[in-house]
Amino acid sequence: MNDVILFAHPIFGMLGVLASVWVFVEALNASEANRSRIRIAAFIVAGCFVAAWALGSYWRMAFYASEKAIILKGPWPWAHNFVMETKERLFFIPLILSLYLPIAVAGNLAKNGGARVVALVVAGFIVLNGLAIEGAGAVISYAVKVAFVHAGVVGVE
Amino acid sequence: MMSVAPASTATATDELKGPAAGFGLAAAIAILINALLAWEPLNAYMASLVGGDFWRTHGVAAVVAFFALGYLFTYQKFRIDGFRLAGLLAAASVVAGGGLALWFALA
Repeated sequence: MNDVILFAHPIFGMLGVLASVWVFVEALNASEANRSRIRIAAFIVAGCFVAAWALGSYWRMAFYASEKAIILKGPWPWAHNFVMETKERLFFIPLILSLYLPIAVAGNLAKNGGARVVALVVAGFIVLNGLAIEGAGAVISYAVKVAFVHAGVVGVE
Repeated sequence: MMSVAPASTATATDELKGPAAGFGLAAAIAILINALLAWEPLNAYMASLVGGDFWRTHGVAAVVAFFALGYLFTYQKFRIDGFRLAGLLAAASVVAGGGLALWFALA
């Protein structure tokens, strides 16, 4: 079950990024026809990031302390000191933007150019931050493996 | 496909009001608050509130700031040009994200 939670955390993050790309493309082509689709996609973005937050919080509280100790004893301590420390705070930027996105797209984007550019910027920054955070997560998990390999644990390679 | 008008041609129809304006400004401020919460004394204070781990209070504080400021600005009938708000949100994201990365790179 814990493995499901571990992998569900980045999966929801990536689904949120994909839904943000969906919002971005729909907002570029905003019209009366896709108005409800934009709203649905924006709520999916918010839901995915809240789910990623909840799952990541559980994982961090329950298990990250031991992984942190392993990383810090390995050859990549910067994976915690720089990457994780930045990632776990950077995450709240796309989370806040994702919570705002359904509000930002509630108006008529086809008629209000200002609302449309706000939706584009918010969705765009969710994508950029989300991809950076996914990459950071990969570095952190790899740092645990590198530490085990460095310690000579057999079968980790 | 409709094109996005540049800021210089912004008109009254580009204005945002209501929750879109209020929560938009709140999002920009909450993003900056989130970056400021990385400051060590604040980190330690937030950790002390929950007995050990700052992260729970950090996230809740950022989200509560977003909703509280959003309701406040909306209640005060805040209005803003959409292009200006987009610039504020972009600037806040770049400054906060870059600032966090720089902070921990130099720490």
